[in-house]
Amino acid sequence: MPIGLPEFAANPENRVPVILLLDTSGSMSGQPIQELNRGIAAFKEDVLKDTQASLSVEVAIVTIGPAVQLIQDFVTVDNFTPPTLEASGQTPMGAGIEYALNLLEDRKETYKANGIQYYRPWVFLITDGAPTDDWRSAAQRVRENEANRRLSFFAVAVQGANINTLQQIAPSERPPILLNGLDFRSLFVWLSTSMKRVSSGKVGEVVALPPMGWGNVGI
Amino acid sequence: MGWRAIARSSIGTSHKKQQMPCQDYGDYCISNNVIVGAVADGAGSAKFADIGAKLSVKTALAHLEEFQKVKPYWQERCRPRSEQPAREMFTEAVKKVVTALQNQARGGGYSCQDLACTLLLFVATPYWLAAMQIGDGFIVVCSQEGNHQMLFPPDKGEFINETSFVTSANVLSEMRVRVLTGKQKFICASTDGLERVAIQMRDWTPFPPFFHPLEEYLGENSNPEKEDEYIMNFLESDRLNAHTDDDKTLLLCLYDCQ
Repeated sequence: MPIGLPEFAANPENRVPVILLLDTSGSMSGQPIQELNRGIAAFKEDVLKDTQASLSVEVAIVTIGPAVQLIQDFVTVDNFTPPTLEASGQTPMGAGIEYALNLLEDRKETYKANGIQYYRPWVFLITDGAPTDDWRSAAQRVRENEANRRLSFFAVAVQGANINTLQQIAPSERPPILLNGLDFRSLFVWLSTSMKRVSSGKVGEVVALPPMGWGNVGI
Repeated sequence: MGWRAIARSSIGTSHKKQQMPCQDYGDYCISNNVIVGAVADGAGSAKFADIGAKLSVKTALAHLEEFQKVKPYWQERCRPRSEQPAREMFTEAVKKVVTALQNQARGGGYSCQDLACTLLLFVATPYWLAAMQIGDGFIVVCSQEGNHQMLFPPDKGEFINETSFVTSANVLSEMRVRVLTGKQKFICASTDGLERVAIQMRDWTPFPPFFHPLEEYLGENSNPEKEDEYIMNFLESDRLNAHTDDDKTLLLCLYDCQ
């Protein structure tokens, strides 16, 4: 009798968590928020081209303005419906960052409880303004987390952003990046490409990120 | 009577696409009733990881084989007294590996880190088994009674793209050692390329339906090295490559007590 083939254990996909922490305060209204919405849609579209990534990349969206709001809890990209964001009110960025970091900790607990392996999470802050609340303790948490390699924090400054404050929030090894005009689309396609690389990364490998054609380091 | 074994590696689809070499290596040697085995997985980020993996396996095996010859009491004893002698034996092997890698790097004019790889070693008699592991990958054994167990819990950082290597500065403290005193009939040492299909990650237990056919294959082939079609077909199958794009290694050993 021929020998059968090894059967495979059914393990969940590894996850690549990413939080989009988006400034939706009043100053983003009009063209900026429209371009941001289009960018998020382009992100989904681009990740979907890679079957593996669409099952691995998990996106959550937290908006800042007028209050902090969880618009989208973590969902794999194949099940993600891009929202239509609207802009108004203040920019409670400190509270937004704290919320995002807590959300991430909760998600990690869920992963651990279910035996799901995950890559280092990304938090992607996009803002065109300045915090209207106390942001210092949030900034310290970002820096501690980054120093302990618990996450990668990216700050993207849209024209009009207070770059000085952002520099104090963003980890020193990854300073804020100035977006070229309102080219959110290029930014999100870059994010998608990066996520695909991370999700197919090998053990022990430091993934080289694609060049940031959409902005430049603002120092 | 005695051990029979086979070691095969197959390149991952992602490495093939990038025209990289297979960075896994596995080998073994059998003398009398003792088998010593080694597998290594070259770090994806290391420039000459394929050379590092092969050199590490060859060097470690040569040392362990020599060790069995000069200290034959290892074979005769029904069980080792404690974990300590096993740790000393593996420590010596790792030191030899590190020296070999350093010499290789010096000769080639590059850094030792360019040869970074994981390393898993074991020595098994019919009565006991000693094993060590640096970095990820797995050793699964099956006792005469048919119970599978994974020797070492996974070596992972918090995130999956982190592990340790034989070239790490603190390699000896990263080295995990275990001695098993029961009679083992089947041993499978492998790199992390097969982890997702062979191990249930929820509780890090072996998935027996993965291992049973491999054991059966060894049971039915008295000369597996010559009859490797089954293993190679499996390692190169689209079915397997749909689950992993990494290099894959199987080092399979069976103790035939008839």
